[in-house]
Amino acid sequence: MRDSRRARLTLGILLTAALVILTVDHRLGAASPFGPLRAAGTWIFGAVERTAGSVTRPFGEFLRAVANAPAAHDEIERLELENARLRTSLIAKELDTGRSEQLKRMLGLAGRGGYKVVTANVIARRGSPGFEEAIQIDAGTADGVRPEMTVLNGDGLIGRVISATADTATAVLISDRGSATGARLEGGQEIGVVHGVGENGRLLRFKLLDASAPLAPGGRIVSFGSQYGRPYVPGVPIGVIERVEATPGELTRVAFARPYADLTALDVVGVVVRAPARDPRDAVLPPKPDPRKQLTEAARPPKRGVVAPRRDARDAALRPTRGRRGGTAPPVQPPVQPSAQPPVQPSRQPSAPAPEGEPESESRTPGATSGREDDGQEPVGAGVAPGRDSTRAVRRPDAEQQSVRPAARPAARPSVRPSARPRDGGVTSPPAGAVAPGEAGRAQPRPAARGGAAARPPVRDSGETVRPAAHGGRASRGEGGR
Amino acid sequence: MTGALIVLATVLVQVMVVNRMSLPGGVTPDLVVLAVIGVAMARGPAAGAVIGFCAGLLADVMPPTAHLLGQYAFVLAVVGYLAGQGLGGSVVTTVMAGVILAPLLAAGLGGLISDPRVTVATLTDQVPLTIAYTLLLSPVVMWLSGRTTRPGYAT
Repeated sequence: MRDSRRARLTLGILLTAALVILTVDHRLGAASPFGPLRAAGTWIFGAVERTAGSVTRPFGEFLRAVANAPAAHDEIERLELENARLRTSLIAKELDTGRSEQLKRMLGLAGRGGYKVVTANVIARRGSPGFEEAIQIDAGTADGVRPEMTVLNGDGLIGRVISATADTATAVLISDRGSATGARLEGGQEIGVVHGVGENGRLLRFKLLDASAPLAPGGRIVSFGSQYGRPYVPGVPIGVIERVEATPGELTRVAFARPYADLTALDVVGVVVRAPARDPRDAVLPPKPDPRKQLTEAARPPKRGVVAPRRDARDAALRPTRGRRGGTAPPVQPPVQPSAQPPVQPSRQPSAPAPEGEPESESRTPGATSGREDDGQEPVGAGVAPGRDSTRAVRRPDAEQQSVRPAARPAARPSVRPSARPRDGGVTSPPAGAVAPGEAGRAQPRPAARGGAAARPPVRDSGETVRPAAHGGRASRGEGGR
Repeated sequence: MTGALIVLATVLVQVMVVNRMSLPGGVTPDLVVLAVIGVAMARGPAAGAVIGFCAGLLADVMPPTAHLLGQYAFVLAVVGYLAGQGLGGSVVTTVMAGVILAPLLAAGLGGLISDPRVTVATLTDQVPLTIAYTLLLSPVVMWLSGRTTRPGYAT
């Protein structure tokens, strides 16, 4: 009992103490005199807990790891899968971002030039040194891609389609050794030929047809355009001259140019399924880079001028069609024609002869001229046409329409081109033979065009449907030559 | 002395290991109560009350603490005294009674001082689970005290 009484006493004291502590702590709250006690406890036991925790944690974790091993294994697999998936989607997103930027740029370029472009991705590439440099794109005849169409991207010219299946097409790059592209030097009417030199497209060889023309590094080159825009539409930026070869005593001058388009890193490309109805060059080139714009503008005038006369006749034929078609391009064309044409014509004639002399130009010129013609035609208007028109008796009906055309052209041309070309060809073809000589004298491009014109006559007769074949024939020639 | 060390070690284990385990229901067994009961059974009511008071005070001061100082000391002092008295007569009933009594006492005391954490939900969910978990571990104490108690029970 004594024990129990003592025990009760102890208990009573302890409980009283506990209650006092409780009460004090409760009443005084933060000001509790037991704050230091609490702090001391926190300090001591905190240290002990940390130490003990650091010692025991590994064991705990080990035990936990063992216990969770099966689940952890699944978890790891799941996470790895998820990781891979996320990484893939991240990469895909980055690719998509880059691709959309390229698309945007290319569409901008196409819009400027009035090209109708089918976009495609490069799905394969051949580029063994010394062999063909060609790419496979994932657009084919089902998308409107046909052989001898221009391939470009947001930076500039890439090449031309040489064959197409329903879903894919093969394009030869301008860097291919067998490729020859009609080109024009910015700031003037000087024309030349761009050859690939292999090297994966790091350089292009630009042969200027006029040995006396100024040729300096930094000069920009744009595509000259081919007849009917096949295989090359005019006005597409090609590259910048990096160095000029000394070729004393030769008839041509040679320079090496760096292509605008990175031919070693192609992804999004566009196939021009319809050349600009008008002068795409002006619109296309200037827009891209400011410097280019200036240059191109300077260069354009001559071209246009040159083209204009010839084109006038053609235009007459074209215009009616254009008007009918009611193209969207109008905005660009109007401004260009007036300014560019007048200055150009005079200069063109002089320059033209040189181009003709070169054999290479042949392949180009057909295509190039056609493109220019379109452009030129519109701007030139009826004024130039008279001489030509006369030659082309057939066209006249169209020519009559010409008077009307001026108003209609601006709007119609862009969209119209495809149809317009055929007509032009048809119109021109009869006169083409007669005209060609005179035109040839004026400017090379035209001569080529004339050549194209010669081909055209048949086309015309056959009508638009026939043309493709005619083009193909031309194209094939061009290719063969190249 | 041994009892004090045991209780001290138990308090540390309780805070560092047991309270970190995540068991179903969100509560953990109360090892401190078991230790106090075991020591009290071996040392008698007075020593049990002192040991319980000290253990409770320790638990009150231990770092992760948000309740009033002295709350747990009160509860464990009572439990230690009762366990030292040999509540219920046998070891098994003593341990079980102590284990059941402790959380109820704590909840009651919390209610008395209007602790906002003590609610009906606490009484119906946490307290029964805590008691159940602690009871699951109580056989260890019963077995240990069965071996060591006999000599010390007299005092």
